[in-house]
Amino acid sequence: MTTAWLIISAVIAVIVAPLVGGLLKGIDRKLTAHMQGRIGPPILQPFYDVVKLLGKRRIAANGFQIAFAYAFLALIVTALVFFVLRQDLLVVLFILFFGSLCLPLGALSVKSPYSQFGGHRELLQFLAYEPILLLATIPIALKSRGFPVSNIFEYGQPLLPHLWLTFIALLVALAIVMRKSPFDISSSEHAHQEIVRGVITEYSGPYLALIELGHWYEMALLLSILGLFWVTGGLWWLSIIIGLGSWFIMLLVDNASARLNWSWMVKFAWSVGTSLIALNILFINLGWM
Amino acid sequence: MVLLPIVTGFICLLIKDHRARAGFVWLTAIVLIAGSIFFLSQGSFPAEYSPAAVWDFVVLAFNYVILAFFIFAAIKDIARRGLSPHNILALVLTLAAGIPLAIFEFSWAPHTPLEVIPTLYIDHLSMVMCLVISIIGSLICIYAIRYMKDHEEHRMHLGELKGTAQPRFFFLMLMFLGAMNGLVFANNLIWLAFFWEVTTLACWGLIRHDEVPAHIDNAFRALWMCLIGSVGFSLAIMYCWNSPLNTLSLATIIGGGAINCPILLVAFALLCLAGFTKAAQLPVHSWLLGAMVAPTPVSALLHSSTMVKAGVYLILRIAPGFQGTPLSTFVAVFGGVVFLVTALLAISQSEAKKVLAYSTIGNLGLIILCAGINTPLAMSAGIMLLIFHAISKGLLFLCVGAIEHYVWSRNIEDMEGLVRKQPVLTGITISAMLSMLVAPFGVLLAKWGAMEAAAGIGVWSTLVLILLMLGSGATTVFWAKWMGRFLCHTPAPGVATREPLIPLYHGVLLVLIAFAVIGSILVAPLYNGIVAPALSEMGYNPSLAFGTSTWFLKSSVGIFAAWPIFIIIGLALLVPVLSARPRVEELRAAYACGENVEIGADEFVAVADERSPLRTGGFYIENVLGERNLNRIIVPVGIALLVILFVVAAI
Repeated sequence: MTTAWLIISAVIAVIVAPLVGGLLKGIDRKLTAHMQGRIGPPILQPFYDVVKLLGKRRIAANGFQIAFAYAFLALIVTALVFFVLRQDLLVVLFILFFGSLCLPLGALSVKSPYSQFGGHRELLQFLAYEPILLLATIPIALKSRGFPVSNIFEYGQPLLPHLWLTFIALLVALAIVMRKSPFDISSSEHAHQEIVRGVITEYSGPYLALIELGHWYEMALLLSILGLFWVTGGLWWLSIIIGLGSWFIMLLVDNASARLNWSWMVKFAWSVGTSLIALNILFINLGWM
Repeated sequence: MVLLPIVTGFICLLIKDHRARAGFVWLTAIVLIAGSIFFLSQGSFPAEYSPAAVWDFVVLAFNYVILAFFIFAAIKDIARRGLSPHNILALVLTLAAGIPLAIFEFSWAPHTPLEVIPTLYIDHLSMVMCLVISIIGSLICIYAIRYMKDHEEHRMHLGELKGTAQPRFFFLMLMFLGAMNGLVFANNLIWLAFFWEVTTLACWGLIRHDEVPAHIDNAFRALWMCLIGSVGFSLAIMYCWNSPLNTLSLATIIGGGAINCPILLVAFALLCLAGFTKAAQLPVHSWLLGAMVAPTPVSALLHSSTMVKAGVYLILRIAPGFQGTPLSTFVAVFGGVVFLVTALLAISQSEAKKVLAYSTIGNLGLIILCAGINTPLAMSAGIMLLIFHAISKGLLFLCVGAIEHYVWSRNIEDMEGLVRKQPVLTGITISAMLSMLVAPFGVLLAKWGAMEAAAGIGVWSTLVLILLMLGSGATTVFWAKWMGRFLCHTPAPGVATREPLIPLYHGVLLVLIAFAVIGSILVAPLYNGIVAPALSEMGYNPSLAFGTSTWFLKSSVGIFAAWPIFIIIGLALLVPVLSARPRVEELRAAYACGENVEIGADEFVAVADERSPLRTGGFYIENVLGERNLNRIIVPVGIALLVILFVVAAI
């Protein structure tokens, strides 16, 4: 991989990622509607929404809120660029976490009960998923002999057969990051629930569009990380299937379950997530995987 | 470097004039800062130095003077305020530490005092500590000039204080700086134990500074808990002398190593015990929490950036000695447990200094974890963490101290919306918190190193890693929700005010935050200049730790491109923060189901159209993570871990 090619692919990723993320969001809404016996919006609706939001009047409760919306988007794009440049996976995650942290910080900066509610709950989501994502890098690094993403490409074999336990743990983490049921405690799709709209209650217009855009990038990045489980060793297109398949599983679970409370979420993530990965590391050390 | 602060400290004790005393503090600070930098650039390391034999007598005599003083203080307290578990334990443990030492020095040792060549052994690890003590410590003392003035004025105003106690305060602070430098230079274990006692003395004296009964209790608690470590020290001295090496030279003992000489393993375990108690690890973490009643510069100097670091310094120092033993694995797991537990406890705290105290204990646990992993990469992560934590945490304590003198409270809830009232101070505080927490800064870089180092060390590493990752998650939560309280505000239309800048507060804070940022950007030169030499002097191969290609840090298994991340994240964060100023007509009140009063008012319309104030608060999950719940579990766990420590060492 030459440097020039890496830079070109980074540029492509920055352009294509939100398109993929937005499209998936549209399909998500359509499929969810079908599962609930509705027709649902057109698949391109998320794009219409963002364009409409961008054109609205700028309204905010204070300046920090705006700053954190920009920072949220910018940091997640940065994380994606580092990922495409095949940097250290832990570093990519650290930047992603910093970006994700901007969302609760923005929410907490507004003196509004619903926003505070959402911000604090978002931190609990963070408490649940951050350790799993970090821990998941360990078996990957053990297999591919190092943390840089480039090592995974040089590894020459698909990771999934060795790391399927880790993969399952990552699916749990992903559901928490994307605030899918049963882990949607910090935000809700519908404004009539007890937390109104959680972290994004106080955002509107162009700033809400920034956050939506950030979520699309986030979705694309996380699914790409899952795709890493089958990038080499032939059948590279399986990585795309794996990414999309994981997304579809989350969609099914989202529609089949209701929101649970925070302590259940943290306990579930910490116990199930960490033990799956711990088992995986143990099996690698024993030479079984 | 050792004597000067002690001498100027005595001078401060004698002069009554406030200005002259401040002058001496400044003088000491400038000489220490310049001296330490000059020493680093001129000296050839490792340097060995043995002062005249008379100094051995001085150390011997003063060691017993201090122990006698502890006994005197404890008896005096019993006479004045009656028996309490704390003063009794202080008395008993002083005897338990002093009697074995006396037996050793006066009857076992071939001659009294026992000389060790070299008395002082100074390598780059000592210099890392020396720079932290001399530079950060001096800055904290300068800050204290103003802080103590405000502090005493406030207490006089409340009628709690009649005369000034500042001479004693600055005497203890400056003497402490000298003793710390002595501690990190010492090679003779008896000297090391002596300086160790001096820091304990300073700690006790400074915690009880305000002479309120509760503070005196906390001071005695700190005293007896640290004395457990002193008992460990006395026994370790006897073990080392009884080992085949038959020496009290720390360098020789570490060089001997526990692999070749298994009896030393017990000595190392005893020294680890001393380190654990000094660093307020489980189960004696409560002394550091109690110590938070001291004036804030004390917390910054003793309880975050230097004295508690002596504990982890000792463990890092002896780590090469127990490399490859079960003790090393145990130390790593121990550090991980402390890191996770304290991060959870910190979530439940609403008092600012207690959050910082728990975070300090946790980070010290992380350094201990690094020492336990005991690979070149882990050791360099530990040393880097020591440096960057000293900067950031010292800074955060000073920030909280300054905030305290604006809002006269240490409660995080009272800091709501402070970003509007004291924007400069709050900005520095939030930056300091970010420097403890997020991507390009040194603390996180060290955490990254620790994670990558822990990934390669066999089955136990999985447990260490799980503790480390879970602890990181909890760490994020308590920092973020605190930042959230600072930021939470409703802008009223009109003027944004800035607090008046106080040179000794804002100046010192700005210097320290500059250290944190510049140090993080220039982390590769910093590593090459001081951490890598320290590693090779300790017998590790630095090329197995980080490789530095121009400006990046490359571990054997990963890459951390520090400054590109800095540029990008700096742009991503600073540009919006500085430029995003909503115009007045863009501001709207927060959502309150349509019952808002008007923009800029924190009120909503309640029953019968009455205006009711809108209040928000942080969450603390007290019922799950509170001290009462967790201490019930973790104190026995801590004691059990220490028992295992000795079982591991004895086998």
